[in-house]
Amino acid sequence: MTALLETRNITQRFSGLVANSDVSISVGRGEIVGLIGPNGAGKSTLFNLIAGVFRPTEGSIWFDGEDVTALPAAERCQRGVGRTFQVVKSFETMSVIDNVIVGALVRTTVMREARRKAYEVLEFAGLAARAHVLASDLVPAEKRRLEVARALATQPKLLLLDEVLTGLTPTEAQTGVELVRRVRDTGITVLMVEHVMEIVMPLVDRAIVLDLGKVLVQGKPADVVRDPKVITAYLGDRHAVGA
Amino acid sequence: MTAETIIQSLASGLLMGLLYGLIAVGLALIFGLMDVVNFAHGEFLMIAMYATFFLFAYFALDPLLSAPLVAAALFVFGAVIYLLIVRFAVRAKANAGMVQIFSTFGLAIVMRGLAQFFFTPDYRSINHSWLGGKTVSVAGIFLPEPQLVGALVAIAAFVALYFFIHRTDFGRALEATREDAGAVALVGIDKNRVFALGWGLGGALVGLAGAIMAIFFYIYPDVGASFALIAYVTVALGGFGSVFGAFAGGILVGLVEATTALLLPPSLKSVGIYAVYLLVVFIRPRGLFGSI
Amino acid sequence: MDKDFASRRRRELIVAAVLALLAALAPLFVKDVYVQNIMVLTLMYAALSQSWNILSGYCGQISLGHALYFGLGAYTTALMFMKFGILPWFGMLSGGVLSALIAMALGYPCFRLRGHYFVIATIVIAEIALLLFQNWDWAGAALGIDIPIRRDSWLTFQFTRSKLPYFYFALVLAAIAWFVTWWLEDSKWGYWWRAVKDNPEAAESLGVVVFNSKMGAAAVSAFLTAIGGSFYAQFVSYIDPESVMGFQFSLLMALPAVLGGIGTLWGPLLGAVILIPLTELTRSYIGGSGRGVDLIVYGSLIVAISLARPQGLVSLFSRAKKVPAR
Repeated sequence: MTALLETRNITQRFSGLVANSDVSISVGRGEIVGLIGPNGAGKSTLFNLIAGVFRPTEGSIWFDGEDVTALPAAERCQRGVGRTFQVVKSFETMSVIDNVIVGALVRTTVMREARRKAYEVLEFAGLAARAHVLASDLVPAEKRRLEVARALATQPKLLLLDEVLTGLTPTEAQTGVELVRRVRDTGITVLMVEHVMEIVMPLVDRAIVLDLGKVLVQGKPADVVRDPKVITAYLGDRHAVGA
Repeated sequence: MTAETIIQSLASGLLMGLLYGLIAVGLALIFGLMDVVNFAHGEFLMIAMYATFFLFAYFALDPLLSAPLVAAALFVFGAVIYLLIVRFAVRAKANAGMVQIFSTFGLAIVMRGLAQFFFTPDYRSINHSWLGGKTVSVAGIFLPEPQLVGALVAIAAFVALYFFIHRTDFGRALEATREDAGAVALVGIDKNRVFALGWGLGGALVGLAGAIMAIFFYIYPDVGASFALIAYVTVALGGFGSVFGAFAGGILVGLVEATTALLLPPSLKSVGIYAVYLLVVFIRPRGLFGSI
Repeated sequence: MDKDFASRRRRELIVAAVLALLAALAPLFVKDVYVQNIMVLTLMYAALSQSWNILSGYCGQISLGHALYFGLGAYTTALMFMKFGILPWFGMLSGGVLSALIAMALGYPCFRLRGHYFVIATIVIAEIALLLFQNWDWAGAALGIDIPIRRDSWLTFQFTRSKLPYFYFALVLAAIAWFVTWWLEDSKWGYWWRAVKDNPEAAESLGVVVFNSKMGAAAVSAFLTAIGGSFYAQFVSYIDPESVMGFQFSLLMALPAVLGGIGTLWGPLLGAVILIPLTELTRSYIGGSGRGVDLIVYGSLIVAISLARPQGLVSLFSRAKKVPAR
């Protein structure tokens, strides 16, 4: 069976600066894959390319057996790519449930059905009690979960998580880790960008390390952590290894 | 249409354009400083014109002499408006953009009403100023003196503004605040004070423009409205917040207006300006010199 | 929880029906033509502001050029009747469709613009249209059009002897605009619009096609606004460019929503009920001498409310309801 997501020789340049160079990765169905690397490694760029925020300068992106390189973000969502934002982008003037309903409306135009799905997702994400609160009144950890819930409501095949665990307290992070596991258990493939290795390594099936815009190493978390190249790349970034 | 008429109208277009730049630059300055568009900007111009008129009518002060006084008065007025209204408008948590637009719009309507109440809706004009109605001939082109002097004042004001922003402490505080209002608070600059002074400065610049305009334009309560739209277009053409852009935008607007007047009936002369605005933003959604 | 929501929706519908019924009975008690006139205008502005609110309030694309669609509605109806004898009802429909099409054609380039660039583009476009109409001889140029008076009938939608037919039509119009908003609020479009207003990038990531959402909002909004304009032409039976396409109409359409509560279901109605009578009364009682007191009152009100109640007056009512909803 083909991989769910594949990037083929992706290169992305921003007015002369090379953010990604010849990046080819693949994510198999049902996997949790971690995309890690030191600051400025090009993780966010790759992430946004996969989500369809912009088109790569070179190379192609394949999702579910189709070339989606030219598709805009909205259409990728319709095909089954859900995402969260590193800097949370809630619909601030809308209630939590309404935020999630927006996501659910990709799959149905029947409001009753969308609302039912939204409650179901909120329940799953542990936000049901906050359904009628304005999104702007949520605490930061809840806003992160709302991001995940909103993306889940679009019933994605692939969920892209952009640093959803960073900056949380250990308890909050643990809740987050469990949420990601439960997401995978429902059959959704997860690709998560994280800066801090320690959080993601126990969670992921496979890790891809980016450095200076290129794939440095990929493999089982245990192997990746011990790889001398990874250690060197992170050396200038002590915090990330030892945190 | 002879070459002479064309040169003649382009020359007066250029002069008028410099004046448009002067009218608009205060708007650009304030926008650059705090992302606020003053929708009462035209009414600032209107009261400056009335102030010039009354100084002439009661004290026989020529507009050229009263210009600094009017500018000073508008400086105070601008700062007061900031402290009384705008300061609160920018604090709004809900519908921030809307509050900002409509609070200054409301102010514009109040000012128009006050002008009607105190000055009546009658059209006024300054009859015997030093420059009014006179022209000067340069290489066979006749240039109206008020517009010529206005253009020179505009250039002088732009040069002064340039040095002011780049060479004085207040100018630097202004620049720093526009870049990062949060950070300047940490180094002990009072944001409100800088903003109030910015509004004052914006007012003074439009005050100067008003004093010149009063020489050759009718003065009535709604006079600001027509110039306000031109000023917004000028500022947006240049790219909101760019002081240099307002200058360039003004010249462009003046030239386009003159060209349109050559090609279309006079009643349609503004169509050219508006069309150029649309053309520019459709191609460059941030204006000619806009970066953000 | 779904039940709470459903009962709130039902309650809104009942309140609206009761209000409409009360309004429909009002002429039994109000015989004064001057007051009836104010009631017609109030309902018309409620409808117009409700239409404006769809694009600017819900979808967040602030238009200060809606006078364009108002004027197009008025002119299409008047010209079709005067030049070709086509009944105003067809003119009304044509004006609405034409405006919706033009709104989409204009939206195509304009919706790429953001913030003040967009607002100014809307003003400028309406202004260009105004200037063109002022110079368009076939359409009466700056002098405008006197709509030929035939006889009082619903067929020609002309009534010289009584204001009441206009009143009932305005009431129906306001009710339709309200109902369309109510209906769209709990639909895919309503949710898309609010998402686009709050955060277009996040909306896009959730499958919302931002551009189409804006186009949809523009079309609905322009259509309803044009119907209002068409009605106004019949109501005053004389139109000229300045009086139907002038900038003040764009402002007058926006203000009730702004005062009442932008992007809310009840805001435009509440705003119109307060603002329009106030404007008309100050104009005739203190402003009659042309001394601008009406403008002062009106402007101060706008400043005061936008500073003190940025969410609009409607928030005075909803504050109390919000707590039990949790």
